[in-house]
Amino acid sequence: MSAVAASIPPSWYLLLASAVFCIGLFGVLTRRSALYFLMSVELMMNAANINFVAFALYYGDLTGQVFALFVIALAAAEVAIGIGIILVLYRNFGTTDVTVPAEMRW
Amino acid sequence: MVDAFAYVPAIVLLPFFSFLVALGAGRYLPKGGAFGGVAATAGSFLLSIWVAATVAGGQAYNETLYYWASEGGAGIGPTDIELSFGVLIDPLSALMLVIVTLVALLVHVFSLGYMNDEDETGLPRYYAGLGLFTASMLGFVVADNLLMAFMFFELVGLCSYLLIGFNFREPGPPSAAKKAFLVTRFGDYFFLVGVVAVFATFGTAQFAGPESFPALADAALNGSGSVAWTPGGVELGTWLTVVGLLVLGGVVGKSAQFPLHTWLPDAMEGPTPVSALIHAATMVAAGVYLVARMYGFYVLTPTTMAVIAFVGGFTALFAATMGVVKDELKQVLAYSTISQYGYMMLALGAGGYVAAVFHLTTHAFFKALLFLGAGSVIIAMHHNEDMWDMGGLKSRMPVTYYTFLAGSLALAGIFPFAGFWSKDEILYEALVHGLDDPLLLGGYVMGLLAVPVTAFYTFRMVFLTFHGEPRSDTARDPKSVGWNVKGPLTVLGSLAVVTGFINMVPVQKVLGLEGIDLLHLWLDNHWGGIEGLSSHHYADIGPYSSAYLVGGEVGTVLVGAVVSLGLALLGLGLAWRLYNVASPTEHTAKLGGVKDVLYNNYYLDELQVWLAYRTEDVAGGADTFDQGIIDGVVNGVSSVSLTGGGRIRKLQSGVVSQYAALLTFGLVALLLVLGATGGWFL
Repeated sequence: MSAVAASIPPSWYLLLASAVFCIGLFGVLTRRSALYFLMSVELMMNAANINFVAFALYYGDLTGQVFALFVIALAAAEVAIGIGIILVLYRNFGTTDVTVPAEMRW
Repeated sequence: MVDAFAYVPAIVLLPFFSFLVALGAGRYLPKGGAFGGVAATAGSFLLSIWVAATVAGGQAYNETLYYWASEGGAGIGPTDIELSFGVLIDPLSALMLVIVTLVALLVHVFSLGYMNDEDETGLPRYYAGLGLFTASMLGFVVADNLLMAFMFFELVGLCSYLLIGFNFREPGPPSAAKKAFLVTRFGDYFFLVGVVAVFATFGTAQFAGPESFPALADAALNGSGSVAWTPGGVELGTWLTVVGLLVLGGVVGKSAQFPLHTWLPDAMEGPTPVSALIHAATMVAAGVYLVARMYGFYVLTPTTMAVIAFVGGFTALFAATMGVVKDELKQVLAYSTISQYGYMMLALGAGGYVAAVFHLTTHAFFKALLFLGAGSVIIAMHHNEDMWDMGGLKSRMPVTYYTFLAGSLALAGIFPFAGFWSKDEILYEALVHGLDDPLLLGGYVMGLLAVPVTAFYTFRMVFLTFHGEPRSDTARDPKSVGWNVKGPLTVLGSLAVVTGFINMVPVQKVLGLEGIDLLHLWLDNHWGGIEGLSSHHYADIGPYSSAYLVGGEVGTVLVGAVVSLGLALLGLGLAWRLYNVASPTEHTAKLGGVKDVLYNNYYLDELQVWLAYRTEDVAGGADTFDQGIIDGVVNGVSSVSLTGGGRIRKLQSGVVSQYAALLTFGLVALLLVLGATGGWFL
């Protein structure tokens, strides 16, 4: 790690992470396409990853970085499943708009 | 040797099984399940004899068999109340078991003639009812605590409802059944409050033993003990009187005492064997038996005793007067039942415990006999009950006539038939104990006045039914009855003649013969029994002392017997003169307006209906309260959750974005709350 990265105060990383998270959240809440959902969720996870890595650097502890690797693996699996769901969705409804399939309700 | 007491539950359960069998499989069985009932009651009868023999052998039995709540006093209320079923066998209950099972057996046999041979429908229902009726009464008889007694008391009431309303397609019986149920329920309401009061006061409702409530009450009144609770500021004696009177409410209803007797004449709508069962051994007897069962409690409160005696004496006379003018055979018998139970209550209130049980015994036999005899006449008359259509049946149905005559002589109290001995002893007890107690003396005078009236209406009935010329075609050619009618009549006819000899107290006192007052010895634990449940004990703690008329004890006995026998013969003679003619006329019509009053039962039914209408608003208010407030709260709670749930489930919209938004809002709200309480924003 470079000295530059270590000299940046942790609150900046936190600000960056929360900004990325909020962008992802905004995408989830406002978009209708399921593909945008997947991308937005990816953003939110990476916001968490930034936090992990930043604190790992700050405390000089590798645990956070290991966690970040796990999250990346998890995100890959999640995308695989998500894409599968979206494919089925498209096959059944002819669209990837998540507001269309609203059968499972009261 | 096998212990007879182990089989006491079987006495109760056998008729119950016959109820189940008749109910479930009666329609597939011959005679609609009658043989099951006959076999069950016969079995119960034999077991009862065995139990009575064991009691005579010097044993008694008082066991709790099953705790259905809080065994070992796990604690209902502050006094650790245990609720249980148990069996109490002492001379009194053993005697009653024999009476009830014998009468029930004979009624079952008689029903073969009255119901089966008459091609009645619904026989399985009938025999199921009889079985359950018998079982309930037997359970009541062996009950060892007041709550169990109350439960079976209610079951008896339910069965009477079912059986009185047996012919439910006609208009009369259902209405009579409802009336019987409601009027007795009215009394039972007080009984229930009384049961709760007994539990609250003593913490127990056992009848027998050192921890029983009569024993505790006795100890508390003596100052050698105390009760668990009395309502604040009320003196103990007063409170016990109140409790006694509350329980007495149930007795007044069931034993058809004034003013709750109105159900009983209407109950004649039921089949005649059922009337026999109700009047002789079960329903009506239950009330008197209950007082006898907890007599150790009643004798402690003189006021209650005086009330019992006065109500009993009044009912005896009151009902007898109404019996004079009735035209229907069973109606006359109904009023005689009310009157006779009045005598028993008079005896109990006057301290004549043995006399009351004696009359209960003799009455059970001769009244069952009279009802079954009436049933036989009704079969012969093709179900016409009007005595003015009968007449001259004497030569056409001799077995019924002679047995009915024996029962009538017993009812009228003619020497030496059973009723003479028991009624005479009742009047004697009331007299010697009542000479310095005006209320008791009033009861005695009314009881004495009822004697000639009883003899009169009884023999008016006999003469109208059996003597003279036949007054209708059916009476000229009555239907013949079979062995299943004549058999029970013969058995009961013999008993009506001889039962009086078990307790010939007047003979003993006059001639000085020892040991012929068998019932006295029996109830005095002479052969064995339970401590504190003997007639001697009751006399010791009772409030009465004896006073005698001229000639001391012997003189009083003779005077009393001669007076009551003379009065009975007077009534009989009058009936003979007026009605034992070839074609009698309605002499009661000469009474004019009095007859109308008597015929309409002193307009008491009308009074009760009037009262019911006056209190309609109260009942309506209670109904509104129940429907509005009580049900309102319950329904309100449920409708709040219903509508709330209906609204909230709309959140489940099925749109994923909205779920995500809700999650986010939830998270934000959680953060805000945590932050606000955690002081982040300060």
